Amino acid sequence: MSARRTLTTLKAIALIWTALTGSPALAASAVELIESDISSRNIAIESNFTGERIVIFGTIKNAKHAEFQNSPYDIVVAIRGPEGPVVTRRKARVAGIWINRDSHTFANVPGYYAVLSTRDLKTIASPAVLTTNKIGFQSLDFIPFGMQDNSALDAGINTFRAAAIRIKQKDGLYLYDPKGVKFVGQNLFRATVDLPANVPVGAYATDVYLLRDGKVLSRNRSNLTINKQGFERFVFSAAFDYPLLYGIIAVIIAVTAGLLASALSRRD
Amino acid sequence: MFDFYLPIAEMSVNLLVILGMGGAVGFLSGMFGVGGGFLMTPLLIFSGIPPAVAVATEANQIVASSVSGALAQWRRGNVDIKMGTILLLGGMAGAVIGVQFVKILREMGQVDLIISLSYVTFLGIIGSLMLIESLRAIRRARAGNPIPARRPGQHNWIHGLPFKMRFKRSKLYISAIPPLIIGIFVGLLAAIMGVGGGFIMVPAMIYLLRVPTSVVVGTSLFQIIFVTAMVTILHSATNQTVDVLLALVLMIGGVIGAQFGARAGQKLKGEQLRALLALMVLGVSLRLAFDLVVQPDELFSIGPVFRGEQ
Repeated sequence: MSARRTLTTLKAIALIWTALTGSPALAASAVELIESDISSRNIAIESNFTGERIVIFGTIKNAKHAEFQNSPYDIVVAIRGPEGPVVTRRKARVAGIWINRDSHTFANVPGYYAVLSTRDLKTIASPAVLTTNKIGFQSLDFIPFGMQDNSALDAGINTFRAAAIRIKQKDGLYLYDPKGVKFVGQNLFRATVDLPANVPVGAYATDVYLLRDGKVLSRNRSNLTINKQGFERFVFSAAFDYPLLYGIIAVIIAVTAGLLASALSRRD
Repeated sequence: MFDFYLPIAEMSVNLLVILGMGGAVGFLSGMFGVGGGFLMTPLLIFSGIPPAVAVATEANQIVASSVSGALAQWRRGNVDIKMGTILLLGGMAGAVIGVQFVKILREMGQVDLIISLSYVTFLGIIGSLMLIESLRAIRRARAGNPIPARRPGQHNWIHGLPFKMRFKRSKLYISAIPPLIIGIFVGLLAAIMGVGGGFIMVPAMIYLLRVPTSVVVGTSLFQIIFVTAMVTILHSATNQTVDVLLALVLMIGGVIGAQFGARAGQKLKGEQLRALLALMVLGVSLRLAFDLVVQPDELFSIGPVFRGEQ
């Protein structure tokens, strides 16, 4: 028996002993940790892209179920897409027609934001804990252009902020599912998210939080990248990197199509 | 299954739906002998394509349809190059102004409104005029009266303007100013509405400039090729709103539809055809007007910030 094997066996015995007695002897210092990953870390948007389902899964390491029987573990998954400025406009009736009138511009608005949890966020932790950990729509830190923080938000601007979140939800780009994280067995969990076809491209961060008694015990981050690939990428980058050339090529394609059509119709 | 993702519009659409739309509008344009941009752009907007993308992409499609149309007219010698060039010079100026106008409107968040308003106004006016005219023609045909032919050589205020030029193909000696102004106006419409502008240019040439009817369509198509080509390039360079994939699918649908439409058109009577087209134009106009007047369910909208980018 090799030395390593002996060590593993010893560890296993210790673990079993700990589990049986419920008193952390060897694992006394071992705090609960969350380990997680995403089913795909790179998502390619190609011409057949109609959205994609991703699964966030993981496990609680050093779980102490016996010790805290009355306060179960909670898991929150937060997926955050690339941030950018967004302008929110409100229509008003002017001379009988509905026209965009007032507007507010917000900075740092995530293009995508999904929160999934084992139960209602309000019952998991206090607003303060949620805010400091940036969990939930209320803690989204997008702020009006030119302001330093959220503190000066008045009711008027808040209506625009709420409207932006509402519209993003309707577009399937913001999501809150208080039953989205499911335990499979005691320590293993999974959460399924359907990314819509209009999902913005860029770098995404997926944070998984482990909570108990309203406190965050552990956090684990995985990164996700969504990019246009193949022909889609080629067209998109051509349009934005070489806009003039792109326009000229678009015209050449159209002229060719016109000539072809004319040749075809002449043959009849 | 037939869903495909548009790289510039950034949305997934059904290939068959877009092909069908291109085919249907192509059928109508083949039947009525119109460009179809004024039907296609609202259709694209109704199906969720951002209006700015719809306008620029439709301009790209019109390049294709006007090339094949102009070629057919060219073979019959129905293009007045000199007149077309004057119209084109104006059209280019109009296109440059129009594309900048769209850029400013996008930054102000008013581009959708102005596109809709332009459509409601122009389709409303053109549709009403066409309907009245075709109903009169139908009534006249029923009464058995022949349609009075226009006498050539009638003079109007146009003939008092300076910078007179000789247009041999059109047998005209008139000032270059009116065709230039018509061209500018059509260029503006092409950039803002994503149309060829034939529905304005053709009546203007017939009634204001007194260009012979045989030359009108070919000459206006000649102008439309270059103006829409320029609008496509300018929109691409300024607003990055041309979706080539969408344009290509529309072109394919349009070509197929136009073939069948042209055949169907030969079997129908002219006045009835025009009355039908007028009703359709009015329908689109009313639908757009309805959306502007009725209180929307969601008063708020969100959009990207253009200023300060890059």
